[in-house]
Amino acid sequence: MVLVESGEKENLMELVRDRLVESGWKDEMRIACREHVKKKGRKDVTVDELIRVITPKGRASVPDAVKEELLNRIQKFIQSAAL
Amino acid sequence: MKHPDPCNHLSDYKLRHGTDGYKSLQNMFTPLNDGRIKIKLQETTRCSHCSVPQHHSSKRLYICLICQTVSCSSHLLSHARSNKGHDLAVDVERSELYCSSCVDQVYDPDLDGLLVSKQVLGSLSVAVASDGVGGCGVRSSKKRRLLADSQFLVDRREKWSYPLGLRGLNNLGSTCFMNAVLQALVHAPPLRNFWLSGQHNRDLCPRRSMGLLCLPCDLDVIFSAMFSGDRTPYSPAHLLYSWWQHSTNLATYEQQDSHEFFISLLDCIHENEGKSKCLYKDHEECQCITHRAFSGLLRSDVTCTTCGSTSTTYDPFIDISLTLDSAKGTKSRNSGEPSVNSPMMPTLSGCLDLFTRSEKLGPDQKLNCRSCGVKRESSKQMSIRRLPPLLCLHVKRFEHSLTRKASRKIDSYLQYPFRLNMSPYLSSSIIGKRFGNRVFAFDGEGEHDGSEFEIFAVVTHSGMLASGHYVTYLRLKGLWYRCDDAWINEVEEEVVRGCECYMLFYAQERVVQKAHKELSYQVISMADAFPFVDC
Repeated sequence: MVLVESGEKENLMELVRDRLVESGWKDEMRIACREHVKKKGRKDVTVDELIRVITPKGRASVPDAVKEELLNRIQKFIQSAAL
Repeated sequence: MKHPDPCNHLSDYKLRHGTDGYKSLQNMFTPLNDGRIKIKLQETTRCSHCSVPQHHSSKRLYICLICQTVSCSSHLLSHARSNKGHDLAVDVERSELYCSSCVDQVYDPDLDGLLVSKQVLGSLSVAVASDGVGGCGVRSSKKRRLLADSQFLVDRREKWSYPLGLRGLNNLGSTCFMNAVLQALVHAPPLRNFWLSGQHNRDLCPRRSMGLLCLPCDLDVIFSAMFSGDRTPYSPAHLLYSWWQHSTNLATYEQQDSHEFFISLLDCIHENEGKSKCLYKDHEECQCITHRAFSGLLRSDVTCTTCGSTSTTYDPFIDISLTLDSAKGTKSRNSGEPSVNSPMMPTLSGCLDLFTRSEKLGPDQKLNCRSCGVKRESSKQMSIRRLPPLLCLHVKRFEHSLTRKASRKIDSYLQYPFRLNMSPYLSSSIIGKRFGNRVFAFDGEGEHDGSEFEIFAVVTHSGMLASGHYVTYLRLKGLWYRCDDAWINEVEEEVVRGCECYMLFYAQERVVQKAHKELSYQVISMADAFPFVDC
């Protein structure tokens, strides 16, 4: 797809990563993971389990501003690519 | 925190192949700006079984350490099953080790070491490339070093709200005792200002240029690192090594006493600073940063119980060690018995009262009374003649009993205030009370200004005597931060009030107010403040 081939997807991924870190979302996720590990005990948790449990929380807590910005960027890109 | 033990599959793999697998991937490890390291492969990364591409779903892709086959997480399992010994793989996006048989992430210091050196080399070549014309003088090389340091793993969170200078410290093997004290000292305004303003510059230090041990220089490195704007946890390895060389008897990986380390470190700084700068003249008070910040004066009055005459002596102090009387708690001053209503909770003011109380010295401690001419029983009373700008109060929680040849820790909770008025413990107050508040000619009266203190750091100890853990709480710009080795996070005031305090760091009100103003100016990192511009 054009998004990937042009390298724009990489740029967008980096943008999203930056925004999620800046807004403190990443730290919130880290805290959520730590709490889960504390509950289950260090020895009993696997990475896959963490991913399974934390992903829905993560998706739900992405700030709206970040979603908006990303949508705008994609829209702009599609418009410019169509020209 | 200890490195987790390898799983059997990892151990087997290491026995058979050592670091060959890591080395074969070495050239593919590519550090990214946000601190991650990804593996760059020749063709587009896809799962060799289902051709799921990397970009596609949320599926993680792994590369087998033995045959370099790329698989998605589902096919990784079948790959491991059909090929014996192929359990270990590396996550392509994150360069993290994964064991298919354990179905979990595993850790190997050898791989981590290889990745870290990759990152360091990568940042060094960037720094070297940006090093333009030779700078002018020593100061600009310090700026250049700061710039190079901050290019390494730039943390975007810096834009977010954490105050400058807040950075985790890695535990180098039961070194939380050192980390705890360092956090408190790095954020003590007079010390912070001293080092950051270059008053002990490692490039100009005469001792260091002669190849001698200089702990203030090691601290200079630490201050630069803490305030560089880089938020990734820092390893104060140099300071640890220097301190070991100085206190060889304490050079082990065993847990040490934070308070002992505090005294030892301040002593080292005093030795270096005092000697090399001739700050300590006879009959004058030492002007080294340690003493300027922490040194106060204690007054000790010994009174003969027979004739009532008193002899007074003055001794300097760097900190005050308070006995935690868990048994008695706070007694009401008037009666000798605890009042019925008050709970037996030990408070800081109770400890300070105990410290400044008149104590009868035992019959085996008779002192020579000048006016009586013979040895008499006496009582002794301590008070504070002069308060330092920074007051360190040490709670004696570790009891060493010589008779029982055992040590124990006193765990009881001690209630302490965030704002402390020290005037009741000043000599003028204590001695004044003794004589019914008569007007006494005290040289240098008016010491009551400067008796209001605000807390800025609390070092706590949790756990048992030999196997406990130290954590520091810092108060910056009115907010509390918990510094647990490499992990820093903001906490509520209640958490700090409820903790088991071991060392309390108070600063005079004016010191805190001045620091508050200074911090509010620092909205940019050091790297931005000193852009690399040739003079």
